[in-house]
Amino acid sequence: MTVTETPDLADVQGNILRGYHKPFVRHLVLTVARRELAASWLLDATGRDPVTTHQVTNAEPWDEKPPTCLNVSVTPAGLAALGVAKPAIESFPAEFVAGMASRATKIGDVGESAPSNWRPEWRRPDELHVVVTVHADRAEQREDVAARFLAYRGGGTFRELARLDGQSFLGGLVHFGYRDSIAQPHFEGIRNPANRPDHQPLVEVGAALLGYPTPLENVRFELPQPSVLGRNGTFNAFRVLEQRVEAFEDFLTSAAETLLASPMADEVLPAGIEREWVPAVSRGDAMRELVAAKVLGRWRNGVPLALSPHSPTPREPVGEERINDFGYQPDPDGTRCPIASHIRRCNPRDARIVQRSANHTRRIVRRGIPYGPPYDPQRPDGVERGLLGSFLCASLAVQFESIQYDWMNLGLLDPRITGSNDVVVGNNDARFSSFRLPVGASAIELRGFPRFVETRGGAYLFLPSLRALRHLGEIAA
Amino acid sequence: MSRLVAALSQLMERALVRYWKWRAPVPTPVWEWKTSLADNVQQQMNLIMPLADTTAVGRAKAVQMVAANIDELFTGLNNIGTVHSARFDLIGDNLCIITVYDGDHEVYIRDFISVFGSVFDAMIKVVADPPPSPCEDFPADFVKWVSTHEAFQVPGDLSLMFPGEQNLLNLSRDLILLLDDNPNVQIGRFSGYPALSVAQLRLAAGIEW
Repeated sequence: MTVTETPDLADVQGNILRGYHKPFVRHLVLTVARRELAASWLLDATGRDPVTTHQVTNAEPWDEKPPTCLNVSVTPAGLAALGVAKPAIESFPAEFVAGMASRATKIGDVGESAPSNWRPEWRRPDELHVVVTVHADRAEQREDVAARFLAYRGGGTFRELARLDGQSFLGGLVHFGYRDSIAQPHFEGIRNPANRPDHQPLVEVGAALLGYPTPLENVRFELPQPSVLGRNGTFNAFRVLEQRVEAFEDFLTSAAETLLASPMADEVLPAGIEREWVPAVSRGDAMRELVAAKVLGRWRNGVPLALSPHSPTPREPVGEERINDFGYQPDPDGTRCPIASHIRRCNPRDARIVQRSANHTRRIVRRGIPYGPPYDPQRPDGVERGLLGSFLCASLAVQFESIQYDWMNLGLLDPRITGSNDVVVGNNDARFSSFRLPVGASAIELRGFPRFVETRGGAYLFLPSLRALRHLGEIAA
Repeated sequence: MSRLVAALSQLMERALVRYWKWRAPVPTPVWEWKTSLADNVQQQMNLIMPLADTTAVGRAKAVQMVAANIDELFTGLNNIGTVHSARFDLIGDNLCIITVYDGDHEVYIRDFISVFGSVFDAMIKVVADPPPSPCEDFPADFVKWVSTHEAFQVPGDLSLMFPGEQNLLNLSRDLILLLDDNPNVQIGRFSGYPALSVAQLRLAAGIEW
C-alpha cells in the first residue's frame, strides 16, 4: 500500500501550494544590516509576536482570506549573514549556492539579458540577502505592511536595495495581452479550490517541497542540513522579465501579413471564420490574433487551441471548467496547438516527447505579476514594463533550469522543433529565429523575429519552512 | 645510465608538480554552457571508474555484474531518449561508461539515476570510491561524483579551458596540474554526421524516435 506523505501546512510558507491571487505585490530586496534584529524579527514573525508583527503567512487553509500576506526568502549570502555555517550552506544544491547569474547561459540569460546588464541590486550577490514579499488587496495596505516591516524596532534591521512593485491587470492579463496563470500543478493530498479541474496527473508534493517523493521515480531531492533548515522549503527562481510589447505586436502584424500572403492562408485560418468571432473582426486582425495564439498555445483570452483551433470564442464556449482540461495526444503533429508553442514546450502534458520519461517530471509553480503601466498601442511611451516572476520548485536544476535549457530554448523535446527557441520568452536572435507552424500535412516557418523578453535581474532564492525561519532566528540571535 | 637519468627526471618532474600545486593550484574547469544547438547535441560522457578489486577475479566479477544487467541498461538508455550511443568497457583497471547524448550534462546524469538507479547501485559496488548510495537518495552527490570521474574534453585551444589564466605561457603548466588530479581526458572526437540530435537523426531515417 502506498502512503501519501502530506506536509504540515502550518509549517509551509503560503503562495507555494496554493496561490494568494492578490492584486498588489511588493518585493523588498534587502541586506541584513543588523543580524540580532533580523533574528528577532524572524522569531517575532513566526509566532513569538503575533500582535504587533505581521506574521509570515503559512499554507493552512483559510475560511476568510486575510487582506495582506507576507513571505520571506533568502539567498546563500543571506543564510551566511544570518549565521548559518558554511558546511550547512554548502549542503544546499550546487545551483542555488552558485546563484542564478552563474547559470545565466544555461537558462538563456545572454546578450542584453546577461547578468552584467542586470539592474544594480541583482549584480551584488554578496549584499542580496533576503527578499520579503508583501501581497495585498489594496495598494495602501501593501504600503502600510511594507512600511511597518521596514520600521521594525525603529528601523535599520534591513537595508533596502530595491523595491519592486507589481499590480495585476483586470482579467488576469499580462502585458502581452494574454490571460496568465491558468495552468498550475495539482498536488497530491493538497486541496486547492482555485485550481481548475483537469485530467493531468496529480503531482507529487516533492516537486514543490523538499523532503517528499518527487515525480522522478524513486528520487528524493537531498535535504539541506540540518534537516530542519531544508524540510518543507522550496526554491524560487525569481526573475525580473522586461516584456517588449511593441516589438511583439509588430511581429504579430508582420507574421500575419506573411500568412495572409501565403497560398496556405485559408488552411491556416478558414476564410470567413473571423465573422463568427464575438465580436467579429477583420481578416487581418483575426490572423494577428491567430499568430498570437499559435506562438502561445492559447488565445489571448485563455481559450486553448487544443480545444478551439480557429476561434477565441467558439460556438460551444470553453468554460472555466474546461479551460485547462486537455492533452496533446489527439494532436500529435501540432496542427491545432503547435509543438513549438509556449505552453506545449513548458508542459508537454501527454504528448510524445524525446525524453520519454520526463513528461510530468518538470512541473513548476508559477506566480507572476505585471510591473509597469499597461501598454497602450496609441501612445508608445518607451517605459519599461514586464513581469515579476516567481518559478517555484524543489529542484532548480531538475525543473526550472531543465525547462529553460532544453525545452524553451533548443527545443530538444521534439525533433521537429529542435534548434528553435520559444517565440514568446526564448533567447531569440532575428538572424536565426524560427517558428514552425504546422498546416495540414505541411508547415510554414515564421522567421526573423527578435527576443521579446529580456531578463533585467533575478536570483535563486530559498523559501524556508516556518520551523526553518525560527531556526534561523535562533542561530542568528 | 639513460634509464637512471629518465627515472631521476621523472622524480624531479613529480616534485615540480607537487610544488606547482602548492604554489599556484589550478581550479577544476567548470562546465561551460553554450546556447547554440551544435554545442548542445552529441555531448560526451566518459565515465572512468577505478575498480575496487583489480585482480582477475575482481575484474571478472565486474564484467559479470554489467553483463547481467545489460538488457536493463539498454532499455533505460532507450527510455532516456537523448542517447546516441553507449558503451560499457573494462579498460585497464577501470570500468568505463562511454556515451554520446544530447542536451544538458546534469539532466542527463539525473535521467541516468531516474531510469536505472538500482542497476547503477549494483554497478558501483565494484568501484573503488563509490558515491553515496542508493544514488536515488543522493542525486546531487551523484552528479558531483560523476563530474570527478569524467574524462573531460580537452579543447584545441587550451585558453578556453582555463579562462581565468592571465599568462598564456602558464597553459601547459595548468594542463599538467589538471592531469595530475584527473589522469583521464578526451583529446578529440570525430563525428561522421552533422550536429543533429538523436531524435532528428531517427526522424530523418524514418525510425520511430
